[in-house]
Amino acid sequence: MDQLLGIQIMGIHPAYGLYLAFIICGGAVAVLAKSLVRALSGLIITLFGVAGMYLLMAAPFLAFMQILIYVGAVTVLIFFAIMLTRTTEGESGTESRRSGRGFLGIWAAAFSTLVLAAVVIRHMPKAIALKPEVTLGRLGEFLTGPFALSFELISAVLFVAMAGAVLLGFERRKAK
Amino acid sequence: MNYLVCYHLAALILFGLGLYGITGRKSLVGMLISVELMLNGAGLALVASSRLTPAVDELGQLGTLLVMGLAAAEATLVLAIILIVSRRFGTTDIADIATLKG
Repeated sequence: MDQLLGIQIMGIHPAYGLYLAFIICGGAVAVLAKSLVRALSGLIITLFGVAGMYLLMAAPFLAFMQILIYVGAVTVLIFFAIMLTRTTEGESGTESRRSGRGFLGIWAAAFSTLVLAAVVIRHMPKAIALKPEVTLGRLGEFLTGPFALSFELISAVLFVAMAGAVLLGFERRKAK
Repeated sequence: MNYLVCYHLAALILFGLGLYGITGRKSLVGMLISVELMLNGAGLALVASSRLTPAVDELGQLGTLLVMGLAAAEATLVLAIILIVSRRFGTTDIADIATLKG
């Protein structure tokens, strides 16, 4: 198993580099693109990169869920948000940069990321070899055992969120 | 530099990109996309921590699954809020949304 994950080119598995490139390029497009549809495409590429990393860590169920929930559902929702908020004047789905604050944003993001990266590199515990894959049945047992309360709570949260969204939609129609 | 650090650095890259997006984006939809980036970074860090250390595997994987569910709920609500805001103000540009009572 160690051979499978491990590390050939300068201590890094080649597939890891590929997925990292997906994540960085997609994330950069998602953050920097002027058109929101392009930003969403960048987000989708990033999501696939993260799914690949889950696969690399031998968590195929999570990779599948990542593609199913994020790529399948969340991005479609965001795409609807882009479509429904297009204004008649001006080009739809684009945005202008916030002038003057871009530099501050870079500073804030870089500072916090670098501090966290320094902490991670300095204090990271020793990694062990990749453990054998957790079976889906074991995950299900855990979900209905120790995680039962969280499982029920997330169902309630999802229901409340959907009901709230519908309610907000009705309110908008009445106000019109 | 072991794999654990590699995965955590990838998660940090996602976090940094998302933070920059949140501060730099001008529209609500762009900020939502950045939030999703940060949530993915959190999930990646959780799974890496549970898979590559002696911690319990299921904790990390199911925690990430719950994060995904919360992200879906959050995206639904934010979509509704963005719709309302764009109806009331005619724009989703955060600089123009400056009234508390619509």
